[in-house]
Amino acid sequence: MGSGKRATTSLASPPDETIERQGTDTSGQETSLSTASAPKLTTDVVITHEDIDRAHDRERVFAARARRGIFSRLRLLWLLVGPGILVMLGENDGPSMLSYAATGSRYGVGFFIPFVVLTFVMAVIVQEMTVRLGSATHRGHAELIFDRFGPFWGWFSMIDLGIGNFLTLITEFIAIRAGLGFFGVPPWAAILGALAVLYLALVTHRYWTWERITLAAAAFNLVFVPVALLAHANWREVGHALTTWSPLPGGLTKDTLLIILADIGATVTPWMLFFQQSATVDKGLTKRDVRFGRIDTALGAALAATAAVATILATAPLFVHHMSAENFQAAEFAQALQPLIGRFGASLFALGIVEAGMVACITISTSSAYAFGEVARRPHSLNLPLREGKSFYLVLFLCAAAAGAIVLIPGLPLVYVVLVVNVIAVLAMPPALVFLFMLANDRKIMGDLVTPPLVNALATGVVIFLTLAGILFGISVIAPNLFAFIGGK
Amino acid sequence: MHTENQQHSPPASSDQELVLSSLELDQLAAAKKRPIPRRPLRGFEKFLLWSLRIYVLFMIAVVLYQVLAGAR
Repeated sequence: MGSGKRATTSLASPPDETIERQGTDTSGQETSLSTASAPKLTTDVVITHEDIDRAHDRERVFAARARRGIFSRLRLLWLLVGPGILVMLGENDGPSMLSYAATGSRYGVGFFIPFVVLTFVMAVIVQEMTVRLGSATHRGHAELIFDRFGPFWGWFSMIDLGIGNFLTLITEFIAIRAGLGFFGVPPWAAILGALAVLYLALVTHRYWTWERITLAAAAFNLVFVPVALLAHANWREVGHALTTWSPLPGGLTKDTLLIILADIGATVTPWMLFFQQSATVDKGLTKRDVRFGRIDTALGAALAATAAVATILATAPLFVHHMSAENFQAAEFAQALQPLIGRFGASLFALGIVEAGMVACITISTSSAYAFGEVARRPHSLNLPLREGKSFYLVLFLCAAAAGAIVLIPGLPLVYVVLVVNVIAVLAMPPALVFLFMLANDRKIMGDLVTPPLVNALATGVVIFLTLAGILFGISVIAPNLFAFIGGK
Repeated sequence: MHTENQQHSPPASSDQELVLSSLELDQLAAAKKRPIPRRPLRGFEKFLLWSLRIYVLFMIAVVLYQVLAGAR
């Protein structure tokens, strides 16, 4: 958006996709409200720099789609992937990787390997809805909630997201600081370095460039795979765990159940929904691209699950060697692994933690800026020149800078902050999931991309499952003895 | 990156053509300024949103409890 230039233009030959969006479906209902709100075909059209940048990206997509052959298909995939991979690898953030590391060191190779894979399958089912929503409506998640359900829920979602994101950003900087601390980098230099990377990704004022820079950084999440190889993972045990969901050392205790509930509840976090839908819109995906959006999401989940499982495998030797890792933080994990996998492996582990925090820092702060722009009706796009998108870039950068500054406060109770973040993230999910589900089933805005019955049944199950897990985890916080009958500590 | 000069100049006709041939009309930034009409809620949906309101109170209580318990 922003201060566009008015081009008095008669649209003689609208794109085929635009024509597809108009008219009625087989039941005779209106297929789209967003089309109705678009400019008329033969009227003044205000064109902005944001539009021009996006049009250049779309032109390359059209050119790739027009060609035949495997290489053209691969090029098309290359052009259309991005939001799905970023959201999934972004969710493999600093605290998540530390949680996987703690799981590996505490439970070894067993139940949690297939369990982690299952959580990513559930994440794909949920995130796929955001691809369809973004492609069908060309509106962000916060914007749709605001418009369709009113200002109360719009602002609630925005504030809820803003607080959760800000606290999560603090934990990302904690991870960056701890990871770089392994190499002797002082905290202030670590935070400044992270903010410099964030700034570099933004400085091009181009969604495409930002996306590619962030994707390149996110690919580094797979650094945990060589670490797992250096740890000499027992692949037979991995195969056994994947097929039998066992062993679960100590059995199902209260503590284990709470970890499982928290993990299920945190499978999808609010920022993921807001980010992927807004990024899908900013990238300019349309109905014809939904298939590739799904591939993008599944690919991202596969990569993220690989990195997560690799992290569990990397720290499993700590369990095998009966090393206590309960109090290990980022750098301590790398130090604990050093006798087992060497200095090189430990360095890779520490770098992986830094990358996890850095990518999440970029994606989470971007999701805050998108949501703010959508609800406050301010320009919101990574294609905006600085002059037109001041509020967008300001929110994005200030959120990150403030979170980074807080991490530098001496004596900050970091463990406490991480705990509160987890509680907020899990508890904030049910409203976000309910709105996502209702919007994805809203034929007025979704047209023929409304959730099909079979997928709906699956999505309903996942949404109810995630919601209940979140609520149960929330209850366990105020009533810690609720699950005492299960046993354990 | 766009220059100041670019920001003040009107879009070239080739850019206009490109935009209009490559983007759907409701993809244009200008179109997104228009809000989508509010959704009329039916029985179950009203129930769901009221349940959410109650849940939000529960959520705020849990978070406050967590914050206060941690501060003690």
